[in-house]
Amino acid sequence: MEFELVIIGGGPAGLMAALTAAEKGVKTAIVEESFALGGQLRQQAQVLENLPKEFGKQSGIALAKFFSNKVSSIGVTALLGHTMIGTYRNGTIGVSNGKDTFPIYAKKILVTTGAAEQAALFPGWTLPGVMTIGAAQILLNRERVLPGKEAVVLGCNSISYDIAKQLRACGVNVQGIIEKKSIDEIDKELIEKFESENIEVFFHSNIEKAAGKQHVEKVWIDNDVLKKEREIDLVCISNGLYPVTEPLELLDCEFTYIENLGGRIPKYGSSFTTSNSSVYVAGNAAGITCIEGILVTASIAVTGILEDLAILNNIEAKKQKEILWTELLKAETGRYSKVHDARISLVNDFLPKEI
Amino acid sequence: MDKYVDIAIIGSGVVGSSIAYHLSESRQKEIIVIDKGFPLSGTSGSTQAWVWVHNKSPSWYGELSMYSAELYPFLEKKIGDVEYKRTGGIAPFFDEEDREKALKLAEKQAEVGIKVEVLNRNQVLEKEPVLSSKIAGATYSSIDGNVNPFRLVELYIKAAKKNDVKFSFYNPVIDIKKESGFFRITTKNEGTYTAEKIILAGGPWTKELGSFLGIDIPVKQVRGQILVTEPLAPLFRHTIAGMRQTDNGEVLIGYSKEEVGYDRRTTMEVIQDTAKMAVDYIPALANANLVRSFSGVRVIPEDGFPIVGEISNIKNAYLAVMHSGVTLSPLVGTLMAELLLEGETSIDLGRLSLDRFEKKSNGAVVQ
Amino acid sequence: MDKSTIVCKCEEINIDEIETALKAGACQFDDIKRLTRCGMGPCQSKVCTNMVREIIAAYTGEPMEHIEYPKNRMPIKITRLGVLVANQETSSVVSVFKESVSEVDTNG
Repeated sequence: MEFELVIIGGGPAGLMAALTAAEKGVKTAIVEESFALGGQLRQQAQVLENLPKEFGKQSGIALAKFFSNKVSSIGVTALLGHTMIGTYRNGTIGVSNGKDTFPIYAKKILVTTGAAEQAALFPGWTLPGVMTIGAAQILLNRERVLPGKEAVVLGCNSISYDIAKQLRACGVNVQGIIEKKSIDEIDKELIEKFESENIEVFFHSNIEKAAGKQHVEKVWIDNDVLKKEREIDLVCISNGLYPVTEPLELLDCEFTYIENLGGRIPKYGSSFTTSNSSVYVAGNAAGITCIEGILVTASIAVTGILEDLAILNNIEAKKQKEILWTELLKAETGRYSKVHDARISLVNDFLPKEI
Repeated sequence: MDKYVDIAIIGSGVVGSSIAYHLSESRQKEIIVIDKGFPLSGTSGSTQAWVWVHNKSPSWYGELSMYSAELYPFLEKKIGDVEYKRTGGIAPFFDEEDREKALKLAEKQAEVGIKVEVLNRNQVLEKEPVLSSKIAGATYSSIDGNVNPFRLVELYIKAAKKNDVKFSFYNPVIDIKKESGFFRITTKNEGTYTAEKIILAGGPWTKELGSFLGIDIPVKQVRGQILVTEPLAPLFRHTIAGMRQTDNGEVLIGYSKEEVGYDRRTTMEVIQDTAKMAVDYIPALANANLVRSFSGVRVIPEDGFPIVGEISNIKNAYLAVMHSGVTLSPLVGTLMAELLLEGETSIDLGRLSLDRFEKKSNGAVVQ
Repeated sequence: MDKSTIVCKCEEINIDEIETALKAGACQFDDIKRLTRCGMGPCQSKVCTNMVREIIAAYTGEPMEHIEYPKNRMPIKITRLGVLVANQETSSVVSVFKESVSEVDTNG
C-alpha cells in the first residue's frame, strides 16, 4: 500500500487533517485501531462549546458522525481495525490488521494518536469500580451501562464536571469531588459551575485508600482537618491526560519534556514537523489542549504537509499558517494560555535538521 | 578525591560482576567495580541467557563452555538461586543431508567429553512433541540449559558486596593512565581511583577502554533481536537453539545477527523473520501473542573466541571480553581470580591471549 | 502511602519492591524494570509509567523532567506471531545448528 499521506489515529485531529488534505487531492489514508472513526469524540455526549465556527455547536458524538461521513465521501482510505505496530529499518511503518502484517509506504506521516488518561495511585486503585472518567464515559454513552450508583470523582476540572453532571443525569448519586489543590488554586468559574449543580467539592483532599471485597465499597477521603469515610461503588479518576507518542518514538523523533504540554512531547516546528522531516504531529499528541486546539493544530500540520508536497506554494502556506496560528492563540486562552506559551517556546526552540 | 584500591574492574555486567565476586571470595584485596550505567542496562540484561555448550566449536571452545556449565550448580550453592536449569539443548536441522555434519560435530565433541546425540525426527518429537514434524533431526546434549540473567548478575553483585567489594554505578570511566606502576582511573562522577591492577570487562565498550591504554582490542558489536511472548502454559521444557521458555511462561525467541554499531533498536524485518523462525520450529507458537521485542548488542571478538588474561605489554592490566558471557562467567570468574591472586590458572589461558591477534597480523596461523 | 500498594498491575509489583530497587542504586524506570519486572507485563508499562516515575522522583529528589521514560518496544500493540508471519516465506534469522557445523568445517 502506498499513499501520499498516512495519518496514524482517526480521532478529531486525524479526521480534520484527513478532510483538509483529501480536499486538496492528497491521496490519504487513516490507520485506526478501533472499528470506527472518531476517537474520544465517540463517547462525548456533552455539547462541545468552542468548536471552530464552521462546526457550530454540537456533541462529540455528532461531530464524530459528521467527520466519518465526510471522510468516506471524499475518498480517504479509512483502514479500520489497523494498528501501526512498528517500523522497518528505513522508517516505513509496519501495520497489522489482525490477520496480516505489512508495510505502508507514505511520503508524509501525521501522528494524531491523541492522549491517554493518567491513573492515580492509592491503595485499592486496582479494584473493580475504580476507573478513569474515560472508561466511565464509554460505559455510559457507548455501552449504555451504568458504571455504579454511589460515586466519588477524583480531580476537580472541566472534564470531571462534565462526567459528574452526566452521572447525575443518569441517576448516579455523586457524593463529591475530591481535589488535591486548595480552593484558591482552582478556577472560580469552575467552582461556581459545581456549586450551581449542587455538587460538593472537597478541596485539599485526597483518597487515602479504597477498599472492598470483589468491588470497591468504601473510600477514605483524607483532608487536613477531617477524615471522611464514604460508602460508594464507583470511583472516577480525572487525573489529567498525557500525550500518546509511541509511533513518534519508533519513528526516531526527538523528544523534550514540557510539563504544561503533558510531559514528554516530540520537538516540532511552526508547521508541526518533527525532527524526522517526513513526520508531523498534531492534536493532543502534540500537547494536551482543548478540542478547538486539537482541530486547529491538525489544520496547521496539513498546511505544512501541503507545502512540503508542493500543493501549496510558500506564500499561500505562510498566509494560511498565520491565520491558523492566530486561531490557535484564540483557542488556547484562559486556562489554556499556559499550553499556548509552552507551545510557542517549543516551536521557537525547534531547529530543523540540516539536510 | 583520590582513592586507592588493589583491583579495579571496569564493567559490572555478567563478566565483570563474576570476576569481582570470585576475587572477593578470599577477601584479600580491596576491589572496586565501576560501571558507566546500571547493571543489566547493557548486554547482560538483553540476552536469552542460554548456558549453551554442545554446538560450541571447535571442541576446545566447547570444552571451556562445558567446564563453565559444570560450575553452575556449585555457584548457585554459593550465591543463591539464579534459576539455573539444565534443561538439555536441542539444535534442530531441516535437511536430511545435515545429518552427516551433525555426526561429525558429535564425534569432535566426544573427543573432549561433551556427549552430543544426533536425533532423528521421531526422537526429536519424542523429546519435544511441539516441535515441527518438518524437522529432519537435531543435535542434542543434556549439558545445555539456561539461567535467569537478571538474578545471575544481581546475585553476583550481592555476594560481592557481602565480601566488601565496592560498586560505583552511573560513573563512566573517562581516562586510564599508567603512572609509576599504578593505574590512575579517572571517572566522571567520583574523581580518580588509583589501582594496582585493572581488569577491563566492558563488553561492547571494551574497545574504548583499551584505547585509553593505547591498545587495540579486536572486538565487533553484533546486534541480536529477541521476541518475548505473553506467558503461556508450559509448552516445551528444553532449551531449543533459538528459543526457550522462562519460569513464568514467556517464550524468548531470537538468533539474529546484525553489525549496526551500538544501536539497540528493533526492526520489523527482524521481528517478522524471528517470528517466522519460531513458527517454523514450533507451529503452535503461531497462536501466541508477541508482547515485546528487545535487542542486545553482543560483543564478539574478531575470531569469535574469548580474550581473557593479562595484556602482555602492560603489566597488571587484564582483559576479559567475550561473547557467551552468561555461559562462561562462572569459569572466567574462577580463572581470573586464580590468575590475579595466585599468578597461575588451573586451565591454560594461552589460547585466549590477546597476543593471538598480533600473530595473525604477522601472517602466522592461529590455532 | 502503604508500601504494599500495587503499582504495576500486570506484574503485581508494589511500592516496597520499587523502593528496594532504588536502594540498590537504580535511578531510572528501566533499571527498576530489569530488577523487578515492573512494567514488563502485557500493558508494557502504559498504565504505571508516570506512577513509577513519581516514586523515583520522590525517592531521588530529582525533578520529574529528569526521570526517564521506559524504552518503548515494538510491537506497539500485542500481535499474534501468526499475524506477523502471514506473508513471510523465508527468514534471515541464523540457524544455530548451521552456524556450529560451518565452524566445524572451517575450524575443525
